[in-house]
Amino acid sequence: MQGKRYIMGLFKNEDQVVSTLAALKASAYKFQRVHSPIPSHKIMATLDLKKSKVGWFTLVGGILGLISGFALAVYCSVEWKLIVSGKPIISLIPFFIVGFEFTILFAVFGNVIGLLTQTRLPNYKGMEYYDPRCSGEHFGVLAACEPGQTEGLKDLFQNSGGEIKVFD
Amino acid sequence: MSQLTYASIDQTVLNTMSRPKRYYWAIVAVLFLGVLVGAACWTYQIFVGIGAGGQNNPVAWGTYLINFVFWVGIAHSGTLISAILHLFRAGWRNPIARAAETMTVFAVCIAGLFPFIHLGRVWQVMYMIPYPNQRLLWPNFLSPLMFDVIAISTYLTVSSLFWYTGLLPDLAAIRDRSEGTRKKIFTILSMGWTGAHEQWRHYTRGYLFFAALATPLVISVHSVVSWDFALGIVPGWHTTIFAPYFVAGAIHSGLAMVLTLMIPLRKIFNYQKIITKEVLENVAKTIVFTGLIVGFAYATEFFIAWYSQNSIEIEQFRWRVFGDYRWGFYFMAFCNTLIPLLFLFKKIRTTVATLFIISLIVNFGMWWERFVIIVGGVARGFSPHAWGLYAPSLIEYGIMLGSFCLFFFFFLLFAKHLPSVSMTEMKETLDHGGSHAG
Repeated sequence: MQGKRYIMGLFKNEDQVVSTLAALKASAYKFQRVHSPIPSHKIMATLDLKKSKVGWFTLVGGILGLISGFALAVYCSVEWKLIVSGKPIISLIPFFIVGFEFTILFAVFGNVIGLLTQTRLPNYKGMEYYDPRCSGEHFGVLAACEPGQTEGLKDLFQNSGGEIKVFD
Repeated sequence: MSQLTYASIDQTVLNTMSRPKRYYWAIVAVLFLGVLVGAACWTYQIFVGIGAGGQNNPVAWGTYLINFVFWVGIAHSGTLISAILHLFRAGWRNPIARAAETMTVFAVCIAGLFPFIHLGRVWQVMYMIPYPNQRLLWPNFLSPLMFDVIAISTYLTVSSLFWYTGLLPDLAAIRDRSEGTRKKIFTILSMGWTGAHEQWRHYTRGYLFFAALATPLVISVHSVVSWDFALGIVPGWHTTIFAPYFVAGAIHSGLAMVLTLMIPLRKIFNYQKIITKEVLENVAKTIVFTGLIVGFAYATEFFIAWYSQNSIEIEQFRWRVFGDYRWGFYFMAFCNTLIPLLFLFKKIRTTVATLFIISLIVNFGMWWERFVIIVGGVARGFSPHAWGLYAPSLIEYGIMLGSFCLFFFFFLLFAKHLPSVSMTEMKETLDHGGSHAG
């Protein structure tokens, strides 16, 4: 997107952001993203976002965990056969506990991997078009436009009640 | 909470992270001294052997196991508050969730130390790790002690990751309001979080799954701890009620510790507008609830001993009330079930001083509950000729002191160097009354 100009509108409440997003949608400017200090239902609903895929990572982790937990307990008991009162070497009930704990552990690992890959973190270079106020009390709407359209985009943000930050 | 704004929340929390005064470092130094006492006692025990403690036949499980169960219990309310109350969308948990989660992480770390201490020959801990070895030995996963190894390590890992995930947006907020070295540190810690809508989209979902996974985990962990006892055939231990009884007791003691920590934190850091009296009152109400469950469990144990007509069980419970450790039983019954009922009076549960005093009493009572269960069972077993009493040695007291100092040492360092209240969740409370609403 070389040659594009990036401008951020900074707002103090979600409703202003929602109306700005609607105005941006109807305009020729290219919406980039919203930075917010909190996860906002209203903003997410306006952006009509798809459901996150993090859950699939969690699910795969959980299934792998269940299999690994059982497999570990079975393998250990088969390798070192400790027969007590003629009871089976592979005892499903106690091994279920190991399987259960591993399910949770690996599901959480999956969840973390899902979070990191989906949010693309760590990413120390992604803060180029960011304003530190967005982690405080401001909601920042970032949009791009052609070099000749900057004034129009600034007007759009200002008319919605926002402050302007222009990125060079 | 209506007077709060996003800016005032940020400012209040950031103020807590200002340069510490001299008395802060003095308290930290005193606590560190306590930690050194504990470490010295443990080192002495490693050199002279486990006999340095007071455990002996028939009471082989003493304060090391009592403190293990006590700290695991303390760890439970953090997850109750951060995960279970999150799923219930209880907005009042937001101001205290961060500190409670942190308490969980530290308490599990300290709990995890005690099995090592109790091992005596601590290096033999490798016997519990399943890896191909020259001895051709593998851990026995039929043993509840191995369940415990898995459960506690899982709990420590999950609660640490949950804690860090919750902390991420706040670390970014601090990064954006810092300069110099602190900014560099928080830039690394916050991993480039910018609060972009795409990040929130995945984060809220991931946080919800974290809570959903931590909830069954927290219940399983203390159930597993209870099976360390219940799967043995020792009188007073061998009972099916132990899992729910231990889980309720864990949450009971953990909530009391939340009050013990939150009340001074609130006063010292001027959190009165954030951690309101209503929040403390809600914790107190939950303590009444868990106290009643614990009281019901105490009564059920006696009922089952009578109902079973098992003479050994009957003797165990008769001795619990009238025997050598009767004071421990009176402490636990009085402090854990009767005293919390005082919270039924609005005046008591809305007065900060009484909340604090009762929280200390419940902590004391819950420690004694573990003493009565653990020591009482083995001290009065099946054979009268094998009956015996137990008293902790000075070394054990030293290690116990060290564990308490270590907990408060960690907590004090945390409170001054990281945000002890979740700024993000507090801001959400202003807008939605919920937290990380997914």
